[in-house]
Amino acid sequence: MSEQSVVLRRQGLGSVFQALVPYIVAVIASFAAAGIVLAVMGFNVPRAYATILFTSFRTPNGIIQTLIKFVPLVLQALAFTIPLAAGKFNIGGEGQLIAGAIGATTVGIMLAGWPAPLLLPLVLLGGIVMGALWILLPAWLLYRFSINEILTTVLMNFVAFELIDYVATNIWPDPVAGHPTTIPIGAGGFLPRLIQQPPLHAGLLIAIFIAILVYFYTDHTSAGYELVATGANARASRVYGINVRNIFFLSLLLGGAIAGLSGAIEVAGVHHRLIAGIQSNFLLLGLIIGLIAKGNHLAVPFVAFFIAVLEVGASAMQRTLMIPGEMVFIVEAFILLFVLLSDVVRRR
Amino acid sequence: MQNSQFVQFASLVMLAIVPYILASQGTMLAGQTGLFIVSQEGVMLVGASVGFLGAFLSGSLLIGLLLAALSGAIAGLALAYFTTTLKLDQFVIGLAIFFLGLGLSNLFFKLVVGVTLQPPIIPTLKAVPIPLLSQIPILGPILFRQNLMVYFSILLSLFLIYFLYYTSWGLSLRAVGENPKAADSVGVPVARSRYITAIVAGMLMALAGAYLPMVYTGSYTDGIVNGRGWLAIALTFLGGWSPHLIFVGSLFFAGVEILALRAQVLGVGLPYQFLRMIPYLATIFVMLLTYKRLRTPAFLGLNYDRESRTSI
Repeated sequence: MSEQSVVLRRQGLGSVFQALVPYIVAVIASFAAAGIVLAVMGFNVPRAYATILFTSFRTPNGIIQTLIKFVPLVLQALAFTIPLAAGKFNIGGEGQLIAGAIGATTVGIMLAGWPAPLLLPLVLLGGIVMGALWILLPAWLLYRFSINEILTTVLMNFVAFELIDYVATNIWPDPVAGHPTTIPIGAGGFLPRLIQQPPLHAGLLIAIFIAILVYFYTDHTSAGYELVATGANARASRVYGINVRNIFFLSLLLGGAIAGLSGAIEVAGVHHRLIAGIQSNFLLLGLIIGLIAKGNHLAVPFVAFFIAVLEVGASAMQRTLMIPGEMVFIVEAFILLFVLLSDVVRRR
Repeated sequence: MQNSQFVQFASLVMLAIVPYILASQGTMLAGQTGLFIVSQEGVMLVGASVGFLGAFLSGSLLIGLLLAALSGAIAGLALAYFTTTLKLDQFVIGLAIFFLGLGLSNLFFKLVVGVTLQPPIIPTLKAVPIPLLSQIPILGPILFRQNLMVYFSILLSLFLIYFLYYTSWGLSLRAVGENPKAADSVGVPVARSRYITAIVAGMLMALAGAYLPMVYTGSYTDGIVNGRGWLAIALTFLGGWSPHLIFVGSLFFAGVEILALRAQVLGVGLPYQFLRMIPYLATIFVMLLTYKRLRTPAFLGLNYDRESRTSI
């Protein structure tokens, strides 16, 4: 992955285009495959595609919806790709998102009267800390006993689903809501709005900032190089004096913290309260984004934006054309498969 | 009274072992040839969806089960093709198939049933008592008054123990997962073994999924598998990739599931959400207890390239 970006820097625009070719082919092939299915089912394929691809750009509301979707997607992708760079798999991003949302809500409700300059940072910090805590057990089990992190991070998701239900129905329930929901956090904990109508919260700036930070960390610092080296060859890295177990542990913790932050942003920016189901399908999309980007941290934000466009298009398509939104999720999975297949083509 | 409660509990456990046994034995079987599958959750969902819809449309549970097995076989075939023939990363391909399964299962359901407030219901699998044996006190109702899938999963486990450890085919198969180069050099068809086990594994996983609407709920929801696919992977690791220990482990997993359900119904003072966390936390705890004794096939998760020069 880093090898690729080095190549990009040396050879300039021509090779950027070359690197993009398999992606373009993958997208076209996936849409073609889905188009055949849609046509067989009797849907209007051109209209469906126009809706998927252009809803985001047709209206100001579409653009803002896309940017709001982009925030959790890019953060969830990074929560997966940072440990991935070290060769570890964090499949628990939604558990950490939920834990982060719970942490942010707890701070936001307990300190509801506090002024924004104090409360907002604490709300976000609450999310970061809880996200990191949620992955602490899997990370520690890996560090101490070499217990496979894939299963433990996944299993913690299911624990989080129950915990959020408990918090939203038993601790601070909103009696009026029909769905497990808490009362709102203090107004000081709301993320400020960049645009008033339609509302766009400042979490977007945080997400972009984090994405840039992570890119510089992994691709332009020596600490980040140790991370990538460990992922490339853990045994060689150990021989060269890198403490790979520390790297594994820290990369997972960092991933958990970022996932937790994404939960805090969903609370502070979008819902202003805790809602069961707040995790949406961000984890799966985050995994798809990370895998499509092949862990390249320069590519992750762009892929995340593209997937956000597809997702906003998917819900519009479901509303206006009655085509199930799952169709787009399948297209995304196909894009991933075709991107992976391009490696096979390149090998020959 | 005590006695009848135990019998009731034990027979519920036997009912609940089926998805764990089918999905884990499938995972194990593919693992014996070095294929590490992580698509369980997705393939089980497809099995649940296809099995439910097949039974709903045809009116026959058997047809539902057969269609589910077919869908699982396709998933297994795809997995084997991408990993064994194209040599792509097993974990990543497994995730991709998991994603596809997730999308397809809900898509199938929406396309056939549409969005309704009143979800359709299918009849659940009936118990088929075995003559004579079901009359045995205690053991009879626990073991011999169950539905056909319970018998199938027990017989499957026995067959796998016999096949893997007492036949030369089984030995060859295990050799593929331990050292494919050695197996290849004595003429064991490595790729074919992987294709066959992947297809069988996919079928078993899909059947595990189809069992859920057919026995537990009678209807399909997108949360019906609820982590059982991931638990099945954990169970396979905990069972040391051996069919008999997986059988024993499935009793534990099913027991925990039934206990947590029981505690919810009886109300033991703890909020039900915490009781529902138990299966997942218990699994992590057992992993911690057994990590030292765990054994996995040496070539698990790695693709075999006949022309590679590395020693393994």
